[in-house]
Amino acid sequence: MLKKAYDWIDERLNVTPLWRDVADHEVPAHVNPAIKMSAFVYCFGGLTFLVITTQILSGMFLAMYYTPDITNAWYSVRYITDEVLLGNVVRGMHFWGASLVIIMMFLHMLRVFFTGAYKKPREMNWVVGVLIFFVVLGFGFTGYLLPWDQKAYWATAVGAQLAGSIPWIGPYIQTLLLGSHTVGALTLTRFFAIHVFFLPAALLVLLALHFIMIRAQHIAGPL
Amino acid sequence: MAAGGERIPGTPRYRHHHLKNPGTEPFIPNFLLKEWIAGSVFLLAFMLWVVFNPVDLGSKANPDDTSFIPVPDWYFLFLYQLLKYFPGDNELFGTILVPMVGALLLLFAPWLDTKKTRHPYKRPLATAGMVLTTFLVIWLTNEAAVQHAAEVAAASGQASPGLPVIPKIEASQIHLVDTSDPGYQLFQNTCANCHGHSGEGGAGPPIYAIGKYWDAKKLYDFIENPVGGMPKKGTLSSDDDVKKVADWLAKQKG
Repeated sequence: MLKKAYDWIDERLNVTPLWRDVADHEVPAHVNPAIKMSAFVYCFGGLTFLVITTQILSGMFLAMYYTPDITNAWYSVRYITDEVLLGNVVRGMHFWGASLVIIMMFLHMLRVFFTGAYKKPREMNWVVGVLIFFVVLGFGFTGYLLPWDQKAYWATAVGAQLAGSIPWIGPYIQTLLLGSHTVGALTLTRFFAIHVFFLPAALLVLLALHFIMIRAQHIAGPL
Repeated sequence: MAAGGERIPGTPRYRHHHLKNPGTEPFIPNFLLKEWIAGSVFLLAFMLWVVFNPVDLGSKANPDDTSFIPVPDWYFLFLYQLLKYFPGDNELFGTILVPMVGALLLLFAPWLDTKKTRHPYKRPLATAGMVLTTFLVIWLTNEAAVQHAAEVAAASGQASPGLPVIPKIEASQIHLVDTSDPGYQLFQNTCANCHGHSGEGGAGPPIYAIGKYWDAKKLYDFIENPVGGMPKKGTLSSDDDVKKVADWLAKQKG
């Protein structure tokens, strides 16, 4: 039955070569921890992606309850934390996951750096990776404000103040970030939009580029 | 066409000696299944951490409370700390120049380290640079955390001659943590009569964020022998109960 359905689709769309190409792709021995334990350092990139996936999922569920306006944001987070079934677990996943993405990504970057994997022909993929790093830091900065508690408010206030102290363009960057001269209603909606629409779009495009380039250029050979 | 047309049904999916490169294995299912095992262990550890480390929510943002000592999330601490080493006219270095140079060096690393050789020992400059940077970032992060903790402690020290003053806010904007603690029940039955059920204050002052200023020991000593109009032991019946309440109050950091 399943096979019939598959064949029916395959006959029309010829999907076999698409997934076969991914499935039969040979994974070299030097990156396989099952063959050589020390190859676990090659898992960091995949684990980063795994945590990013859980971030996207937990974030989607949080967005069902979160309200991005200054009168209700804090109450909605308190509702998630205290009332919603497993709400504190999902919020915990998103909170701790944010730190874990940074840690795993940093370890992945160190692995790539010390194995010299960014050298010709993989320069562009390194650049894309560094851009992903910046995007993830952007996620952290914008996401930190959303619970709208004291910690969030004052951290953002200081961050914006620092941006404002940059000569010439500082005040413009500050206004762009805050939407106003101080952290307030416009800042929260702005950070929310950046956190859930702009940055995810950028991240997905960059991740796609990252993975396509790995396939095109293969994993760098053994040292 | 059947999936994997080249494979005779019933034969193993692959054999090492059949492959062009022995030691390699196909991505799906062989490698991915093993990778999923590693991923599952990783996720399990992560979920255990999440369940046993619930996330706090502080009290609602209050733009008027300028006594709050701000600190960025931990992964920005190294940048935050860097600023402190370039005070006054040199601020420019800390806010923009050093971070910018660092970001550009990182972004263009492939064009700075162009030698063909990849082994870390054979390109000492790049390796040493990255090792040093990593240690510097870790050190700056730690230094910032230590200094912030000291600042918070100092702020509580200032408050100790009198009593810490916690701004009065609406009870509905307070979030008490760890409400399953026995200390919370005792608080509700006794202390709340004067300090309010969310610690928002009433006949007594607001204490919803007292843990930010006083630790459990200091709270215990105070409740045992209070100053001002507060009754001895806050009308609690035993030293043990006072300790429970003090332990719980110390967790309320606003």
